[in-house]
Amino acid sequence: MSELYLWSVILAISFATLLTRSLLHVLGERVQLPALVEASLRFAPACAMAAIVASDLAYSHDVLEFNLANARLLAGLGAALIQLTTRSMAATIGGGMALYWILRWVS
Amino acid sequence: MSSPNSTHPTPAEAVRRGIRELLPATPGIFAWGLVTGVAMVKAGLDTGHAIVLSLLAYAGSAQLAALPLIAAVAPVWLVFVTAVVVNLRFVVYSAAVRAGFAHLHWHRRMWLGYVVGDIMFVRFSALRQNEPDYPHPVSYYLGGAVANWIIWQIASILGIVAAAVIPDSWGLELAGTLALVALLAPLCVRFPTFAGVAVASIVAILGHSLPLKLGLLLGMISGMVVALLLERRPEASR
Repeated sequence: MSELYLWSVILAISFATLLTRSLLHVLGERVQLPALVEASLRFAPACAMAAIVASDLAYSHDVLEFNLANARLLAGLGAALIQLTTRSMAATIGGGMALYWILRWVS
Repeated sequence: MSSPNSTHPTPAEAVRRGIRELLPATPGIFAWGLVTGVAMVKAGLDTGHAIVLSLLAYAGSAQLAALPLIAAVAPVWLVFVTAVVVNLRFVVYSAAVRAGFAHLHWHRRMWLGYVVGDIMFVRFSALRQNEPDYPHPVSYYLGGAVANWIIWQIASILGIVAAAVIPDSWGLELAGTLALVALLAPLCVRFPTFAGVAVASIVAILGHSLPLKLGLLLGMISGMVVALLLERRPEASR
């Protein structure tokens, strides 16, 4: 990872923040999004996060471990249940990590 | 005589109310910020780069999503596209709140857009819905946004600094993924979103060996298309 690469990605992510959050504000109310685009945007964050989470939990070091011996996968599923029942991000992260450590310790 | 505070709040009181109504969410914002800070360093960023990224980007989920790409030295354009896609919910947020900001100068609107956060957006939307005639919505928004930003940055920088003394064997980078799970799970309760999430997950897993992490991009797009098709179908047959 070169300095140039790191500063490039830092600026790229920061520009992505500015673009997504401020573009519609700057354009003002003259510009309306097509209904179909606005409808599909609603699904974008969930689908993006799902793709990232799924491939991160299902693989360990680029080897597919889609089974019940995968502590990370089980911890992720447990964390989802904790989120749905408690609606607390702190409980979800804490509970998921605790589950992960317990599963690693017993196996 | 009615209380002037409740019926005619000053802008300063609106700012304070914005802050006050955000504070109950502090543990969640703090945990998420801390985890993002730790995850950035665990993914290989050094302290300086991680702090600048946190201060400028202020985008937990986009930062977390970009980390595996940065670690794999993926092309900058792919990191940018990923950050934009993960941030797309903020386009929806800005579309939702901008009506009340139309009278402001464009550069004020730009900065107000830039400082939006998930939790303060939810609080602000509740205010607009419950008290549509509240006199200083922009001040309320600003109070919540600044409080959200400060809590997040303190937690994130604390995570960046503490990451160095946390052993790798704790596997704490998983906490970054769990923070995404916490954001994702409540979205899956609605049907078309759940179907999109399932398709995105399967395609991303099957496409894992594609170069440039393109499996992620393919997963996102397939999920969005499936969710949109399923949502449109009953409308078309009506």
